[in-house]
Amino acid sequence: MARSRFKPSKLTLLVGLVLMGFILLLIPQDITSKLNFAFIDIFGFFLNIGSSAAYQQNSQNDPLFSVSRQEYNKLQAAYENLQEKVSEQEKQIEQLSRVRMTEPDPAAGLVLAKIVNRRQNEFIINRGSADGLVKGQYVLGDNAVIGCIEQASADISSVKLITSSACKLHVKISAPDVNSYFNGTIQGDDKNRAKILNVPKKYKIKDGYYVYAAPKTGFLLSPRIIGKISKCVVDETRPLLWDITVKPAYEFDDITDVAVIVIKQELK
Amino acid sequence: MKWWRFTFVVILVAVLQVSAAMNVLSLTNLRIKPDVLLILLVYFAVYCDVYDAVIISFALGFAADMTGMVLGPHFISYGIIGTAIAHIRKLILLKTTRQQAAAVFITGIAVAIIALVLTQIKAPQMTKTGLFEITAVAAYSAILWFLVKWPVTKIGKWLGVGAHRFGLKTDGRV
Repeated sequence: MARSRFKPSKLTLLVGLVLMGFILLLIPQDITSKLNFAFIDIFGFFLNIGSSAAYQQNSQNDPLFSVSRQEYNKLQAAYENLQEKVSEQEKQIEQLSRVRMTEPDPAAGLVLAKIVNRRQNEFIINRGSADGLVKGQYVLGDNAVIGCIEQASADISSVKLITSSACKLHVKISAPDVNSYFNGTIQGDDKNRAKILNVPKKYKIKDGYYVYAAPKTGFLLSPRIIGKISKCVVDETRPLLWDITVKPAYEFDDITDVAVIVIKQELK
Repeated sequence: MKWWRFTFVVILVAVLQVSAAMNVLSLTNLRIKPDVLLILLVYFAVYCDVYDAVIISFALGFAADMTGMVLGPHFISYGIIGTAIAHIRKLILLKTTRQQAAAVFITGIAVAIIALVLTQIKAPQMTKTGLFEITAVAAYSAILWFLVKWPVTKIGKWLGVGAHRFGLKTDGRV
Protein backbone atom coordinates (compact mmCIF):
# COMPACT_ATOMS: atom_id res chain seq x y z
CA MET A 1 0.00 0.00 0.00
CA ALA A 2 1.38 3.33 -0.95
CA ARG A 3 2.27 5.50 2.04
CA SER A 4 0.70 8.95 1.93
CA ARG A 5 3.30 11.69 2.46
CA PHE A 6 2.36 14.75 4.47
CA LYS A 7 2.98 17.83 2.35
CA PRO A 8 1.30 21.02 3.54
CA SER A 9 0.47 23.83 1.14
CA LYS A 10 2.77 26.83 0.82
CA LEU A 11 0.48 28.99 2.93
CA THR A 12 0.09 26.37 5.68
CA LEU A 13 3.85 25.89 5.73
CA LEU A 14 4.51 29.62 6.00
CA VAL A 15 1.92 30.19 8.72
CA GLY A 16 3.12 27.14 10.64
CA LEU A 17 6.74 28.25 10.53
CA VAL A 18 5.90 31.84 11.49
CA LEU A 19 3.90 30.53 14.45
CA MET A 20 6.83 28.34 15.40
CA GLY A 21 9.03 31.44 15.24
CA PHE A 22 6.76 33.32 17.60
CA ILE A 23 6.73 30.35 19.99
CA LEU A 24 10.54 30.42 19.96
CA LEU A 25 10.38 34.16 20.55
CA LEU A 26 8.05 33.78 23.51
CA ILE A 27 10.01 31.00 25.22
CA PRO A 28 12.04 32.66 28.01
CA GLN A 29 15.59 33.64 27.11
CA ASP A 30 16.99 31.52 29.97
CA ILE A 31 15.71 28.39 28.23
CA THR A 32 16.51 29.21 24.59
CA SER A 33 19.99 30.47 25.45
CA LYS A 34 20.85 26.87 26.35
CA LEU A 35 20.61 26.02 22.64
CA ASN A 36 22.94 28.89 21.75
CA PHE A 37 25.41 27.73 24.37
CA ALA A 38 25.10 24.15 23.12
CA PHE A 39 26.04 25.33 19.61
CA ILE A 40 29.18 27.03 20.94
CA ASP A 41 29.93 24.00 23.09
CA ILE A 42 29.69 21.58 20.16
CA PHE A 43 31.57 23.68 17.61
CA GLY A 44 33.92 25.44 20.07
CA PHE A 45 37.01 23.96 18.45
CA PHE A 46 36.09 25.11 14.93
CA LEU A 47 34.99 28.55 16.12
CA ASN A 48 38.49 29.33 17.35
CA ILE A 49 40.30 28.24 14.22
CA GLY A 50 42.14 31.19 12.74
CA SER A 51 42.01 33.36 15.85
CA SER A 52 45.78 33.82 15.99
CA ALA A 53 45.90 34.33 12.22
CA ALA A 54 43.29 37.05 12.45
CA TYR A 55 45.14 38.80 15.25
CA GLN A 56 48.41 38.58 13.37
CA GLN A 57 46.88 40.10 10.28
CA ASN A 58 45.35 42.99 12.23
CA SER A 59 48.64 43.56 13.97
CA GLN A 60 50.54 43.68 10.71
CA ASN A 61 48.17 46.25 9.24
CA ASP A 62 48.51 48.48 12.27
CA PRO A 63 51.33 51.06 11.85
CA LEU A 64 51.99 50.80 15.60
CA PHE A 65 53.34 47.30 14.97
CA SER A 66 55.75 48.33 12.20
CA VAL A 67 59.42 48.48 13.22
CA SER A 68 62.73 48.79 11.36
CA ARG A 69 64.64 45.67 10.25
CA GLN A 70 67.40 46.31 12.85
CA GLU A 71 64.85 46.70 15.61
CA TYR A 72 63.06 43.60 14.34
CA ASN A 73 66.24 41.49 14.49
CA LYS A 74 66.95 42.71 18.00
CA LEU A 75 63.43 41.90 19.12
CA GLN A 76 63.58 38.54 17.38
CA ALA A 77 66.72 37.59 19.34
CA ALA A 78 65.13 38.66 22.60
CA TYR A 79 62.02 36.75 21.62
CA GLU A 80 64.00 33.56 20.99
CA ASN A 81 65.68 33.86 24.38
CA LEU A 82 62.41 34.38 26.12
CA GLN A 83 60.65 31.62 24.20
CA GLU A 84 62.46 28.86 26.03
CA LYS A 85 61.82 30.46 29.39
CA VAL A 86 58.17 30.98 28.55
CA SER A 87 57.57 27.37 27.53
CA GLU A 88 58.92 26.18 30.88
CA GLN A 89 56.79 28.66 32.77
CA GLU A 90 53.73 27.81 30.69
CA LYS A 91 53.95 24.22 31.87
CA GLN A 92 54.02 25.38 35.49
CA ILE A 93 51.13 27.81 34.96
CA GLU A 94 49.08 25.11 33.27
CA GLN A 95 49.55 22.79 36.24
CA LEU A 96 48.65 25.56 38.68
CA SER A 97 45.68 26.62 36.59
CA ARG A 98 44.31 23.10 36.54
CA VAL A 99 44.29 23.04 40.32
CA ARG A 100 42.61 26.48 40.46
CA MET A 101 40.07 25.60 37.82
CA THR A 102 38.84 22.50 39.55
CA GLU A 103 38.99 23.94 43.04
CA PRO A 104 38.97 27.76 43.11
CA ASP A 105 40.72 29.35 46.06
CA PRO A 106 37.98 30.07 48.62
CA ALA A 107 39.76 33.17 49.94
CA ALA A 108 40.26 34.78 46.52
CA GLY A 109 36.90 33.58 45.18
CA LEU A 110 38.19 33.51 41.61
CA VAL A 111 37.18 31.11 38.88
CA LEU A 112 39.68 31.03 36.02
CA ALA A 113 38.24 30.64 32.53
CA LYS A 114 39.32 30.58 28.92
CA ILE A 115 37.71 32.61 26.16
CA VAL A 116 36.17 30.18 23.68
CA ASN A 117 34.50 32.62 21.32
CA ARG A 118 34.85 36.36 20.75
CA ARG A 119 32.10 38.58 19.47
CA GLN A 120 31.59 42.27 19.25
CA ASN A 121 31.76 43.64 22.80
CA GLU A 122 31.09 40.24 24.29
CA PHE A 123 32.71 36.83 24.54
CA ILE A 124 32.01 33.30 25.69
CA ILE A 125 33.99 31.58 28.45
CA ASN A 126 34.34 27.89 29.27
CA ARG A 127 32.90 28.14 32.81
CA GLY A 128 29.27 28.15 33.81
CA SER A 129 26.78 27.86 36.62
CA ALA A 130 28.32 24.51 37.60
CA ASP A 131 31.40 26.50 38.64
CA GLY A 132 29.34 29.00 40.63
CA LEU A 133 28.92 31.60 37.91
CA VAL A 134 25.74 33.68 37.89
CA LYS A 135 24.50 36.74 36.03
CA GLY A 136 26.07 40.01 37.17
CA GLN A 137 29.39 38.68 38.46
CA TYR A 138 32.45 40.75 37.62
CA VAL A 139 35.02 39.43 35.16
CA LEU A 140 38.70 40.31 35.41
CA GLY A 141 41.28 40.35 32.63
CA ASP A 142 44.74 41.90 32.75
CA ASN A 143 44.00 42.53 36.48
CA ALA A 144 41.21 44.95 35.59
CA VAL A 145 37.43 44.61 35.49
CA ILE A 146 36.62 43.97 31.84
CA GLY A 147 32.92 43.15 32.04
CA CYS A 148 30.27 41.12 33.75
CA ILE A 149 28.48 37.81 33.26
CA GLU A 150 25.43 38.24 31.05
CA GLN A 151 24.12 34.67 30.91
CA ALA A 152 25.37 31.40 32.38
CA SER A 153 24.55 27.87 31.34
CA ALA A 154 25.92 24.80 33.14
CA ASP A 155 29.32 24.81 31.45
CA ILE A 156 29.69 28.07 29.51
CA SER A 157 28.78 31.72 30.03
CA SER A 158 28.56 34.89 28.00
CA VAL A 159 30.33 38.01 29.20
CA LYS A 160 29.48 41.58 28.23
CA LEU A 161 32.49 43.85 28.02
CA ILE A 162 32.33 47.24 29.70
CA THR A 163 32.50 48.72 26.20
CA SER A 164 29.08 47.20 25.46
CA SER A 165 26.08 49.48 25.82
CA ALA A 166 24.34 46.54 27.49
CA CYS A 167 26.80 46.63 30.40
CA LYS A 168 26.12 49.21 33.14
CA LEU A 169 28.23 49.28 36.31
CA HIS A 170 28.59 51.58 39.29
CA VAL A 171 32.01 53.18 39.39
CA LYS A 172 34.17 55.41 41.52
CA ILE A 173 36.36 58.05 39.91
CA SER A 174 39.54 58.61 41.87
CA ALA A 175 40.43 62.30 42.18
CA PRO A 176 43.89 62.47 43.76
CA ASP A 177 43.95 66.29 43.53
CA VAL A 178 41.18 66.60 46.10
CA ASN A 179 41.89 63.22 47.72
CA SER A 180 38.36 62.00 47.04
CA TYR A 181 36.19 59.68 44.97
CA PHE A 182 33.23 60.62 42.77
CA ASN A 183 30.47 58.11 42.14
CA GLY A 184 28.97 57.42 38.74
CA THR A 185 27.61 54.81 36.36
CA ILE A 186 29.63 53.55 33.42
CA GLN A 187 28.09 52.31 30.17
CA GLY A 188 29.79 51.19 26.97
CA ASP A 189 29.40 53.07 23.71
CA ASP A 190 29.84 49.94 21.52
CA LYS A 191 32.96 51.56 20.04
CA ASN A 192 35.75 50.23 22.30
CA ARG A 193 35.17 52.99 24.85
CA ALA A 194 32.78 53.58 27.74
CA LYS A 195 31.02 56.66 29.06
CA ILE A 196 30.35 57.74 32.63
CA LEU A 197 26.85 59.11 32.75
CA ASN A 198 25.20 61.99 34.57
CA VAL A 199 28.17 63.34 36.52
CA PRO A 200 27.49 66.98 37.50
CA LYS A 201 29.96 69.59 36.30
CA LYS A 202 30.47 70.88 39.83
CA TYR A 203 32.80 67.91 40.45
CA LYS A 204 36.34 68.72 39.37
CA ILE A 205 37.13 65.81 37.09
CA LYS A 206 40.08 65.75 34.72
CA ASP A 207 41.56 63.58 31.96
CA GLY A 208 43.80 60.84 33.29
CA TYR A 209 41.84 60.12 36.48
CA TYR A 210 41.47 56.43 37.20
CA VAL A 211 38.07 54.76 37.22
CA TYR A 212 37.29 51.84 39.55
CA ALA A 213 34.36 49.42 39.71
CA ALA A 214 32.52 50.27 42.90
CA PRO A 215 32.04 47.56 45.53
CA LYS A 216 28.70 45.79 45.21
CA THR A 217 27.23 43.51 47.85
CA GLY A 218 27.58 39.89 46.83
CA PHE A 219 29.63 40.65 43.71
CA LEU A 220 32.63 42.85 44.51
CA LEU A 221 34.16 43.47 47.93
CA SER A 222 36.68 46.20 47.09
CA PRO A 223 37.16 48.67 44.20
CA ARG A 224 38.87 47.28 41.11
CA ILE A 225 40.41 49.26 38.27
CA ILE A 226 38.39 49.59 35.06
CA GLY A 227 40.35 52.17 33.11
CA LYS A 228 41.37 55.77 32.79
CA ILE A 229 39.46 58.90 31.74
CA SER A 230 40.62 59.67 28.21
CA LYS A 231 38.33 62.65 27.60
CA CYS A 232 36.37 64.85 29.97
CA VAL A 233 34.44 67.70 28.34
CA VAL A 234 31.21 69.54 29.03
CA ASP A 235 28.20 67.69 27.65
CA GLU A 236 27.02 69.56 24.55
CA THR A 237 23.36 68.73 25.08
CA ARG A 238 23.33 69.08 28.88
CA PRO A 239 25.83 71.80 29.87
CA LEU A 240 25.49 71.06 33.59
CA LEU A 241 26.93 67.57 33.16
CA TRP A 242 30.29 66.15 32.14
CA ASP A 243 30.73 64.02 29.03
CA ILE A 244 33.33 61.55 30.31
CA THR A 245 34.96 58.96 28.05
CA VAL A 246 36.86 56.08 29.64
CA LYS A 247 39.59 54.05 27.97
CA PRO A 248 39.53 50.50 29.39
CA ALA A 249 42.69 49.20 31.05
CA TYR A 250 42.75 46.07 28.89
CA GLU A 251 43.48 45.17 25.26
CA PHE A 252 40.73 42.76 24.34
CA ASP A 253 42.69 41.11 21.53
CA ASP A 254 45.46 40.21 23.99
CA ILE A 255 43.23 38.53 26.54
CA THR A 256 42.83 34.78 26.32
CA ASP A 257 42.17 33.94 29.98
CA VAL A 258 39.91 35.70 32.44
CA ALA A 259 38.95 35.32 36.10
CA VAL A 260 35.42 35.63 37.43
CA ILE A 261 34.94 36.98 40.94
CA VAL A 262 32.72 34.53 42.80
CA ILE A 263 31.97 35.71 46.30
CA LYS A 264 31.32 32.82 48.64
CA GLN A 265 27.97 32.75 50.41
CA GLU A 266 29.45 33.36 53.87
CA LEU A 267 31.24 36.50 52.61
CA LYS A 268 28.15 38.02 50.98
CA MET B 1 16.81 19.82 -3.37
CA LYS B 2 19.20 17.55 -1.51
CA TRP B 3 18.28 18.32 2.08
CA TRP B 4 21.05 16.40 3.86
CA ARG B 5 23.66 18.24 1.84
CA PHE B 6 21.83 21.49 2.53
CA THR B 7 21.91 20.81 6.33
CA PHE B 8 25.63 20.17 6.13
CA VAL B 9 26.24 23.41 4.21
CA VAL B 10 24.11 25.46 6.62
CA ILE B 11 25.95 24.12 9.68
CA LEU B 12 29.28 24.76 7.95
CA VAL B 13 28.34 28.33 7.06
CA ALA B 14 26.89 29.02 10.52
CA VAL B 15 30.12 27.89 12.15
CA LEU B 16 32.15 29.90 9.65
CA GLN B 17 30.00 32.98 10.23
CA VAL B 18 30.71 33.10 13.94
CA SER B 19 34.25 31.70 13.85
CA ALA B 20 37.39 33.67 14.53
CA ALA B 21 38.44 33.03 10.92
CA MET B 22 35.88 35.60 9.77
CA ASN B 23 37.78 38.28 11.71
CA VAL B 24 40.21 38.29 8.79
CA LEU B 25 37.45 39.99 6.79
CA SER B 26 36.39 42.37 9.57
CA LEU B 27 36.66 46.10 8.94
CA THR B 28 37.11 49.04 11.31
CA ASN B 29 36.95 49.01 15.09
CA LEU B 30 33.30 48.00 14.85
CA ARG B 31 34.46 44.69 13.31
CA ILE B 32 32.03 44.88 10.42
CA LYS B 33 31.86 41.43 8.83
CA PRO B 34 29.88 40.20 5.83
CA ASP B 35 26.84 38.05 6.57
CA VAL B 36 27.26 34.80 4.64
CA LEU B 37 23.89 33.46 5.80
CA LEU B 38 22.25 36.57 4.33
CA ILE B 39 23.97 35.94 1.00
CA LEU B 40 22.70 32.35 1.03
CA LEU B 41 19.20 33.55 1.91
CA VAL B 42 19.04 35.73 -1.19
CA TYR B 43 20.64 33.08 -3.40
CA PHE B 44 18.22 30.33 -2.38
CA ALA B 45 15.20 32.65 -2.44
CA VAL B 46 16.08 33.66 -6.01
CA TYR B 47 17.00 30.26 -7.39
CA CYS B 48 14.69 27.80 -5.56
CA ASP B 49 11.01 27.25 -6.12
CA VAL B 50 8.79 29.06 -3.62
CA TYR B 51 8.00 25.98 -1.53
CA ASP B 52 11.66 25.13 -0.95
CA ALA B 53 12.53 28.81 -0.52
CA VAL B 54 10.13 29.07 2.43
CA ILE B 55 11.72 26.10 4.22
CA ILE B 56 15.26 27.24 3.41
CA SER B 57 14.63 30.80 4.58
CA PHE B 58 13.40 29.65 7.98
CA ALA B 59 16.25 27.11 8.25
CA LEU B 60 18.81 29.85 7.53
CA GLY B 61 17.07 32.09 10.06
CA PHE B 62 17.35 29.36 12.67
CA ALA B 63 21.06 29.04 11.88
CA ALA B 64 21.46 32.81 12.22
CA ASP B 65 19.76 32.66 15.62
CA MET B 66 22.02 29.84 16.74
CA THR B 67 25.09 31.88 15.93
CA GLY B 68 23.72 34.77 17.98
CA MET B 69 22.44 34.78 21.54
CA VAL B 70 18.66 35.10 21.08
CA LEU B 71 16.47 32.43 19.49
CA GLY B 72 13.51 33.54 17.37
CA PRO B 73 14.13 36.99 15.85
CA HIS B 74 16.18 35.87 12.84
CA PHE B 75 14.03 32.77 12.37
CA ILE B 76 11.02 35.02 11.78
CA SER B 77 12.78 37.81 9.88
CA TYR B 78 14.71 35.49 7.52
CA GLY B 79 11.59 33.39 6.98
CA ILE B 80 9.33 36.30 6.10
CA ILE B 81 11.84 38.22 3.99
CA GLY B 82 13.06 35.06 2.21
CA THR B 83 9.49 34.12 1.34
CA ALA B 84 8.85 37.67 0.15
CA ILE B 85 11.89 37.55 -2.17
CA ALA B 86 10.76 34.21 -3.55
CA HIS B 87 7.45 35.85 -4.49
CA ILE B 88 8.91 39.17 -5.65
CA ARG B 89 11.21 37.43 -8.10
CA LYS B 90 8.10 36.46 -10.07
CA LEU B 91 7.77 40.18 -10.86
CA ILE B 92 11.44 41.12 -10.96
CA LEU B 93 13.64 38.32 -12.28
CA LEU B 94 16.74 39.26 -10.22
CA LYS B 95 18.80 37.59 -12.91
CA THR B 96 21.88 39.81 -13.08
CA THR B 97 24.56 39.85 -10.39
CA ARG B 98 24.00 43.58 -9.87
CA GLN B 99 20.30 43.08 -9.18
CA GLN B 100 21.10 40.24 -6.80
CA ALA B 101 23.68 42.37 -4.97
CA ALA B 102 21.05 45.10 -4.59
CA ALA B 103 18.68 42.45 -3.24
CA VAL B 104 21.35 41.35 -0.72
CA PHE B 105 21.75 44.97 0.43
CA ILE B 106 18.02 45.67 0.82
CA THR B 107 17.37 42.25 2.36
CA GLY B 108 20.24 42.75 4.82
CA ILE B 109 18.73 45.98 6.10
CA ALA B 110 15.16 44.63 6.22
CA VAL B 111 16.14 41.40 7.99
CA ALA B 112 18.30 43.19 10.54
CA ILE B 113 15.66 45.79 11.38
CA ILE B 114 12.94 43.16 11.89
CA ALA B 115 15.33 41.04 13.98
CA LEU B 116 16.28 44.11 16.03
CA VAL B 117 12.65 44.90 16.83
CA LEU B 118 11.91 41.28 17.76
CA THR B 119 15.06 41.03 19.89
CA GLN B 120 13.93 44.17 21.69
CA ILE B 121 10.76 42.29 22.64
CA LYS B 122 12.47 39.14 23.86
CA ALA B 123 15.77 40.34 25.34
CA PRO B 124 16.11 44.14 25.30
CA GLN B 125 19.56 43.96 26.90
CA MET B 126 20.83 42.12 23.79
CA THR B 127 19.94 44.84 21.29
CA LYS B 128 23.13 46.69 20.61
CA THR B 129 23.33 47.00 16.84
CA GLY B 130 23.07 50.49 15.42
CA LEU B 131 21.72 51.62 12.06
CA PHE B 132 25.22 52.31 10.74
CA GLU B 133 26.33 48.77 11.55
CA ILE B 134 23.23 47.28 9.91
CA THR B 135 23.82 49.29 6.74
CA ALA B 136 27.55 48.54 6.73
CA VAL B 137 27.03 44.78 7.10
CA ALA B 138 24.40 44.80 4.33
CA ALA B 139 26.67 46.82 2.01
CA TYR B 140 29.69 44.61 2.75
CA SER B 141 27.64 41.46 2.07
CA ALA B 142 26.30 42.96 -1.18
CA ILE B 143 29.82 43.78 -2.37
CA LEU B 144 31.00 40.31 -1.39
CA TRP B 145 28.25 38.80 -3.51
CA PHE B 146 30.16 39.86 -6.65
CA LEU B 147 33.12 37.77 -5.44
CA VAL B 148 31.34 34.73 -4.06
CA LYS B 149 28.61 34.31 -6.65
CA TRP B 150 30.56 31.70 -8.60
CA PRO B 151 31.38 29.38 -5.62
CA VAL B 152 27.89 29.85 -4.16
CA THR B 153 26.34 28.90 -7.51
CA LYS B 154 28.56 25.81 -7.65
CA ILE B 155 27.51 24.81 -4.14
CA GLY B 156 23.91 25.50 -5.11
CA LYS B 157 24.18 23.12 -8.07
CA TRP B 158 25.71 20.48 -5.77
CA LEU B 159 22.62 20.90 -3.61
CA GLY B 160 20.39 20.52 -6.65
CA VAL B 161 19.35 24.17 -6.86
CA GLY B 162 19.11 26.62 -9.71
CA ALA B 163 19.36 24.28 -12.66
CA HIS B 164 16.01 25.27 -14.12
CA ARG B 165 15.23 28.48 -12.30
CA PHE B 166 15.33 30.65 -15.41
CA GLY B 167 14.45 27.79 -17.72
CA LEU B 168 11.18 26.07 -18.39
CA LYS B 169 9.64 24.81 -15.18
CA THR B 170 10.93 24.06 -11.69
CA ASP B 171 8.73 21.28 -10.37
CA GLY B 172 5.14 20.33 -9.95
CA ARG B 173 4.49 21.67 -6.46
CA VAL B 174 1.30 23.68 -5.99
